[in-house]
Amino acid sequence: MFAHLFTLIWNKKKQNLLLISEILVSFLVIFGVFSLITYDYLNYKKPMGFDYERVWVVNYSNPLETKSNDSVTLYYENLRQTLKAMPQVKEVSFTSGNFPFSNSTNATGLRHNGVVYSRINNFTVDDQYKEAINLKLLEGRWFNKLDAAAKDRPILINESLKEAVFGKEAAVGKYMNDWEEKNKLKIIGVVQDVKMKGDYTTIGNAVFNRIDSGAFHWLGNMLIKVTGDADAAFESRLYKVLAGSMKNANIEIGHLSNLRVSKNKAFLVPLIVISIVAGFLIINVALGLFGVLWYNINKRRGEIGLRRAIGASGKSVSLQLVTETMILSTLSLIIGAFFAIQFPILRVGDIDASVYLTALLLSILFIYLLVLVCSLYPGRQAAAIQPAVALHEE
Amino acid sequence: MIHLQNIEKVYRTDTIETRALNHISLDVAKGEFLSIMGPSGCGKSTLLNIMGLLDEPSGGELKIDEQKTDHLSDKELARFRNKKIGFIFQSYHLINDLKVLDNVELPLLYRSSTARERKGLAATALEKVGLSNRMKHFPTQLSGGQKQRVAIARAIVGRPEIILADEPTGNLDSAMGNEIMEILIGLNRNEGTTIVMVTHDEQMARRTHRLVRLFDGAQVG
Repeated sequence: MFAHLFTLIWNKKKQNLLLISEILVSFLVIFGVFSLITYDYLNYKKPMGFDYERVWVVNYSNPLETKSNDSVTLYYENLRQTLKAMPQVKEVSFTSGNFPFSNSTNATGLRHNGVVYSRINNFTVDDQYKEAINLKLLEGRWFNKLDAAAKDRPILINESLKEAVFGKEAAVGKYMNDWEEKNKLKIIGVVQDVKMKGDYTTIGNAVFNRIDSGAFHWLGNMLIKVTGDADAAFESRLYKVLAGSMKNANIEIGHLSNLRVSKNKAFLVPLIVISIVAGFLIINVALGLFGVLWYNINKRRGEIGLRRAIGASGKSVSLQLVTETMILSTLSLIIGAFFAIQFPILRVGDIDASVYLTALLLSILFIYLLVLVCSLYPGRQAAAIQPAVALHEE
Repeated sequence: MIHLQNIEKVYRTDTIETRALNHISLDVAKGEFLSIMGPSGCGKSTLLNIMGLLDEPSGGELKIDEQKTDHLSDKELARFRNKKIGFIFQSYHLINDLKVLDNVELPLLYRSSTARERKGLAATALEKVGLSNRMKHFPTQLSGGQKQRVAIARAIVGRPEIILADEPTGNLDSAMGNEIMEILIGLNRNEGTTIVMVTHDEQMARRTHRLVRLFDGAQVG
């Protein structure tokens, strides 16, 4: 019977082309949506790599006009000690603008053995940064004061960059070069990947640089790890202390947990919009499919009547129509899968192959389910056709 | 072979009741070639559909090969039709998207048989109706007479004991009609197939063993 149905479909290939195209387009749209959802879901399942609860971020403008690096460094170290003297403050860290959940990005490139690694997130941080947000160290150590006198500039890299450059080998103690190949950078540690742009996205490769003495001129953010009893009253007190220490500076206090919520919302809204649009498209396709199948059945009433006359039961007629539609879907899916499989092969968007393969599998299952649901009712209608009536109509 | 006792067929709508068959009692013996005649709308095709288990009578009793059919399920009826009955229609009812050989093997698809067996039996059936050379053609490439011969091949491919033919020569000229009639007579004579044929053609009807006339749903001769 299967070979018979295949022959029938093949001989009607022109009529079936439209249906095959419709299923193919739906598959490609669904594959796109499922790739996005799978990618986001897998990212969501990954650990954050740092703590954001009870970490406040202070955005400030540098109030000092002096050009002396030592004076500026001393000023901010004093401010750090002033803040740490408050019982609710556990740690204070100065950082570049690309702190967790900020809208700022700073990218750089590094070289190793002649290979260029570009689009690496570049974080300029101090010795207290790890403690402030509880970064997870996988290898080596974090920065300390001795690094200021190191012969080669020390850096930490994240596990993604370590994997890309060194594979399974240890990275600590090895060197990379900066973009211009002027400085040798010594890797002193590897940290777990961090999701600094929200729950649904990874930042890819990252490098952490220690702030140098001149950095306080341009740094404008500090992260403050506070205790559980740090409330609004403390926030007000903190503001007063900061305002008292940093005359004429613009000061803004925010909470990383709130920034995370905003970041996630900003990420989810387009995804939801895309999913709604895809949902409408699927409803459209389902209705179209339903209509085409219904139309086909009405066009084939004579054939259905004949099949019933020569030995087909109502159930087998229904099964035949559903099977025919499933075979058509399979043809569409074979073509669709050919295009979809190019994504993991070409590593489109530098996304892991498993994301595309999972999306491919889910899309195939979804299309089969959709086609099955859409063909069941027309199939039942076909089974209900009275052979005597259908043969007479013809 | 076929026993009809007081067969009635009534079509009802909200306002109208139409009596298509009115207490028809008829016996068709094994190996008989029976023709049914009557004006259009007298119930000939309805009677044939009831004999072929394509339609249910509103009343009366139908037995085929001593077996009552009113209690059979849809699946059992389908199996019964497939094994016992072959159909020939005025408008051939060939599937235009299938080649002649594929059309002929259709009834065998609803039995357990291999593709090789099906092809072999279909080729033999086509040979019997003189169309071996048209196996790979599509129905649209055939003449009316050839189409009806394909339909006959399809009807006999499963070796049914009964053939029900609804105006098999109705769409054909007299020469073609005679050819088809010769094939049917040959089947009846050589294979012992019981044939019930509905026709408008008195001349064709006279060539059968017995003629039954219907008028307004009732048997008049």
